[in-house]
Amino acid sequence: MARVAREMVEMTGINVDELLELLITNAAAELTTFYYYTILRANLIGLEGEGIKEIAEAARIEDRNHFEALVPRIYELGGKLPDDMNAFHDMSACPPARLPQDITDVKAILQVLVDAERCAVRGYAHICNLTAGKDHRTYALAQAILNEEIEHESWFSEFLGEGPSGHFMRRGETSPFVRPFMPSL
Amino acid sequence: MQTKEVPMREISQEELAACNGIDGAPAWVAYQGLVYDVSSSYHWRQGRHQITNRAGQLYERGLNAAPHGPDLLERFPIVGRLSG
Repeated sequence: MARVAREMVEMTGINVDELLELLITNAAAELTTFYYYTILRANLIGLEGEGIKEIAEAARIEDRNHFEALVPRIYELGGKLPDDMNAFHDMSACPPARLPQDITDVKAILQVLVDAERCAVRGYAHICNLTAGKDHRTYALAQAILNEEIEHESWFSEFLGEGPSGHFMRRGETSPFVRPFMPSL
Repeated sequence: MQTKEVPMREISQEELAACNGIDGAPAWVAYQGLVYDVSSSYHWRQGRHQITNRAGQLYERGLNAAPHGPDLLERFPIVGRLSG
């Protein structure tokens, strides 16, 4: 634990234990989403599905990156991941992004994807709101993740025909916003 | 905009507080004088929403600070009006 780093956050009035719960439940959401997106991606086939597979894959990899980026901050603040993977899954901040009943319905898969991203956008906006001007390091991390989640939402939303967002899919490297928090990348 | 029919049932602060979503209790929250049953929501499991909000309480402050509007809350059934 980074003792002084935690003390500085506590001194701002933030309830660090609640913040840690938020970080852990959102880390759980990222890792479980990575898992469920693996299944969604595998089922994105055919003329319609193949066109979406690449952005589903980019979102999947970036969600895994978000998990990796969150973990050091959890331990810095004195938290830890649960010992039990089942417990970790069940505490996810977002519902499981399960395959729709009709696995050939690409639009239904897109709806699962966009719903998952919207849950993430709200979750990180909430963390940003709590930490803005107080816990600078958590804020910067949550804001970086939020930037990527908003782009994911935009990609899937555009495919659903909800309107243009002006975003383009990744060219080359993933996680342009979160990368500075992941020196190993 | 609220278009649902609002039950005339009056709900006391004590009854609201008891519906805190913990250990099988229903999860109710009060917003602008109306009491909503959010028990069916994944996001209110065990009576907690985004860690910082609790069922069985007024949701004014929480919703005002939330990254969403009341439209998400208004998807849930209204149980009655908060008395007092």
